[in-house]
Amino acid sequence: MSAIEIIFFPFVLALGLSLFFRGESNVSKFAALGLFSYMLSFSLSLFEQLPEEGYLLLGEFLKVERFDFVLRLQVDMLSTIMLTLTSVLLILVALSSWSMKNQALYFSLLIMFSGAIFGLFMSTNLLWFFIFWELTLVPMYFLVGVWGAERRIFAAVKFFLYTHFASMLILVAFFLIYKESGAFDFTLVRESMLLSPVLIWWLLFIGFAVKMPIFPFHTWLPDAHVQAPAPISVLLAGVLLKMGAYAMIRLVILLLPETSQQYAWVILTLGLITMFYAAFMAIYETHLKKMVAYSSISHMGLVVIAISTMSYAGLSAALYEMIGHAFIIAPLFLIAGFFHHKTGSWEMRDMGGIMQKAPYISAIFVLAGLGALGLPGTMGFVGELSILISAVKSFGLWMIVVALGSMLGAGYIIWTLRRVIYGEMSEVVKATNFKMNMMEFLALAIFALFIILFGIMPNTLFEYINPAFSQFSSLGGAL
Amino acid sequence: MNSLALTLLILPMTGSLLAFILGKIDKRYAFWSAEFLGLALFLITLKLYSSYSEPIDIAFTWFTLGSLSIPFGIYIDELSLVMLLIATGLGFLDIHFAHDYMADDPHQPRYYAKVLFFIGGMILLVSAKDMVSLFMGWEFMGLASYLLISFWHQQKAPADAGVSAFLFTRFGDIFLFAAIGMLFYLTGTLDLMSLNSMATAGDIDKDMMYLVAVFIFIAAIGKSGQFPLFPWLMRAMEGPTTVSALIHGATMVNSGIYIVARLFDFYVAAEALLVVAAFGAISAFIGATSALVQSELKKVLAYSTMSHLSLAFIGLGAGSLAAGMTHLVNHALFKALLFLGAGAIIMSASHVKDMWRFGGYSKKMLFVSIAMAFGALSLSGIPPFSGFYSKDAIIATTLLNSETSGLISSLTLIAGVLSVAYISRLWLLTFAGENRDSELFAKVKKPSFFWITLPLLVMAFATFAMGFMQEGIIEMVSGSVAEEEHVNGLLFGLLSAIALLAIIVYYYYVKRLDITKKIASQPLMKAIHKLLFNGYFVEFFIHYFVKNVVVGSFAKTIHWIDKNIVDATVNGSKEFARVVKGYLMKTHSGQTSDNSGTMILGVLLLLVAVLVGGVL
Repeated sequence: MSAIEIIFFPFVLALGLSLFFRGESNVSKFAALGLFSYMLSFSLSLFEQLPEEGYLLLGEFLKVERFDFVLRLQVDMLSTIMLTLTSVLLILVALSSWSMKNQALYFSLLIMFSGAIFGLFMSTNLLWFFIFWELTLVPMYFLVGVWGAERRIFAAVKFFLYTHFASMLILVAFFLIYKESGAFDFTLVRESMLLSPVLIWWLLFIGFAVKMPIFPFHTWLPDAHVQAPAPISVLLAGVLLKMGAYAMIRLVILLLPETSQQYAWVILTLGLITMFYAAFMAIYETHLKKMVAYSSISHMGLVVIAISTMSYAGLSAALYEMIGHAFIIAPLFLIAGFFHHKTGSWEMRDMGGIMQKAPYISAIFVLAGLGALGLPGTMGFVGELSILISAVKSFGLWMIVVALGSMLGAGYIIWTLRRVIYGEMSEVVKATNFKMNMMEFLALAIFALFIILFGIMPNTLFEYINPAFSQFSSLGGAL
Repeated sequence: MNSLALTLLILPMTGSLLAFILGKIDKRYAFWSAEFLGLALFLITLKLYSSYSEPIDIAFTWFTLGSLSIPFGIYIDELSLVMLLIATGLGFLDIHFAHDYMADDPHQPRYYAKVLFFIGGMILLVSAKDMVSLFMGWEFMGLASYLLISFWHQQKAPADAGVSAFLFTRFGDIFLFAAIGMLFYLTGTLDLMSLNSMATAGDIDKDMMYLVAVFIFIAAIGKSGQFPLFPWLMRAMEGPTTVSALIHGATMVNSGIYIVARLFDFYVAAEALLVVAAFGAISAFIGATSALVQSELKKVLAYSTMSHLSLAFIGLGAGSLAAGMTHLVNHALFKALLFLGAGAIIMSASHVKDMWRFGGYSKKMLFVSIAMAFGALSLSGIPPFSGFYSKDAIIATTLLNSETSGLISSLTLIAGVLSVAYISRLWLLTFAGENRDSELFAKVKKPSFFWITLPLLVMAFATFAMGFMQEGIIEMVSGSVAEEEHVNGLLFGLLSAIALLAIIVYYYYVKRLDITKKIASQPLMKAIHKLLFNGYFVEFFIHYFVKNVVVGSFAKTIHWIDKNIVDATVNGSKEFARVVKGYLMKTHSGQTSDNSGTMILGVLLLLVAVLVGGVL
């Protein structure tokens, strides 16, 4: 399949599957799995074709006279990494959705989402970027709204409206860019062409800040996470939030470097606030999934801090932490959802002693928790160390406050493990049978393997991550 | 040699996995693979030791971050070798001992896997070349300690103890983590040897160096159970005794001292040694006095560990690397012996830990009592046992150093002398006199010779023999035989104080227990007892602070703000949209959803923005 086909085929497939199948459907499941695996191999094959620097043109479509509406598909190292991460996550999400209800429709939506997200990461035309950006919302809205928990409609609407509102800001910014520079293709736009870069910067920053999310625009996320089914939470944290971070790097930092430099302190301050604020929220939280959600926001705060350094090391650290965060938070969400599914409660006090009933699942939960608090040997540590070092290099000694974040992380993670996994069994846990679908467990095991593997051998990732920001290495004196 | 060193690093980690998998087939395989691996590790270390000529130095780039490279390296010199010998030697004996101690436990694969993982962490720590690999080893041990303390996680107390251990040590660890960032910023290198030489050459800003040294020392305080981060060490006694012996008596708790010793030149140049000595002195006093009144066998040993580690810190703090490190080595050996001896008693006495229910046990386990007497003599500092030489040297150093003579040396002296009181109390209450719980006494089994008594005797012999090898140890840890620090009359004074105390303890705890009880029931004595028994309420204060200030006030306030201000604004905007929609609906017929209402809002906003943009 060519690049354009890999974007639009999923929509056709999704339509076909949703028309011809109902309810439980192995065809849908395997179709999704097959498609996502193909997407992974497609993304991996891109790495070999990429030029040393800059973009690889995959095709141009829909050329219209007098208006820059061309769908130009181009990828560079950054977007290829995002494509790969997304396809890996999609495969694992498909595996962990194996026993979901109403599979035909569910997997159709998942397939539709995959098409939209691939379009987003491959298109360099801002209009098409926006179209795909909005298209991801549609399947997400239904996935939360149909398969969610009791207050799913509220959460889905809040999620949709909030991020949609942010999209409006982004759209305004895109039109401003077009008006001032005459191009929608962001590879052709330079900051010097723009007349009002500050306005555009703020519109884009707030728009993407909602998606990441950055304090004070984060409140849609805990609601969405709590109501969403566990695999969709993984998709939210692993792909949707990463869209925000990707856009922040691509369209704020790389597109408007001078204005970003000017407002780096804004990004840094909000990143620090996000990290500490969410960590304290997590400490106070007794709702298991909300705790994980706040932990996720806290880690995105770390990513924001790394982005704000605008340095070679810092952006590499940010990208590594984005990948690490996706792999670490995913098993936490999945297992939290599994415990809820089995015990019927989200409250930690109703759990306890689950290690005695489900030792292997609990062990993966512990491992992911240790990743979240940044223990060496996991991806979490490498991420935190890189961010600490790059932040200290860029902003000076006082950035060691980042280390305090991992203390708070230890606080909520270890105490959660104590309440949920260890200790005496609660009455509910005693009466529960913790049996897991093999496919779901396989997904968890793969996540656990990634956490350790890339935590011990981070260079396998950095070999690809560093070149994504190699334009920074040529800046004299900059890191 | 390099490949041997790398084997030493990789073997325990892979072995840990192997022991677990084999143990799942048959749980005895877990023990045998651990025993075999423990022995192999010890033999490799011996080989490294015997063929040592110059430091093994291996440097890798762990990963490249942008244009910065993050190092990972191995550096094994004589100081590391001493620590390696302790870790692998005692590790092997501990695994051997666990054969009987853990015999009834259904989760042996998990146990041996964790113990091997721990030994791997310790090896990584002591053979680290740079701050990153040091921190990795440091955290691996912390993790293993957490997992092993809460080994019996189905019970409340061990599970809580694990949390306490992890959080207390983690609090220290983040300072070490921050120190990595600071050093990278200040010096651009994380190599420990370069840091030492840069510090000595004066290439680093002195105030910053002091700050870094204090940060690293906070981590050391956490890991080595010093004031004020010691309460976790007492709770850690909830874990299996074999774990207490290895991790919380002999190896992991030493790592704080090791890190100060490793960066000794840095500390000297930063002039941060006085802080080390001061905190050491406070901890030594707290540990020694609290050990006097504990009723649980292991708690006495835990406080004693705290106090003796402090002595090693004081030795370093007073400026003598040799005194501090030799005490560390001596202490590791006799404390492992005492802990394992305690393990033998506890195991034979149906897992009762309360000393007041023991008494007269030397009739049942003579060899254990003899071995423990060796440990006790060494701990008390009676010549020619090993403990005497290092303790004497530390006290002499503090007296001769003008900065530490006075308060610090007095506290050191008190702590040093008191050790004889609590250890003789422990030994006498357990082994001498009449048994105080005949029911329990009747059930006491004689421990097996090969699995239990033999390792104890080996350690007892080593403790005795070490007394004659002190110069060799000093040469290894500090590179040269220092001149004997000597204070006239110190030896005589110390020995007479020790003898006097021993006699007092014997009289009051064996001959006239009735008088002791009468004295103890006085109100003042009760109050003092309560203060000491609870470790000066340090844990109480920290717990109160965290519960009521950090969580109860700070986190709660943020939670309130999030709910009532940040999120309320967002949810409130729905009301705003509804009002706007109300106006808009007057112009339209039919139904409009919330959704499209906001859509319209969005479009309006867009128009305004484009207009504004046009004007600009």
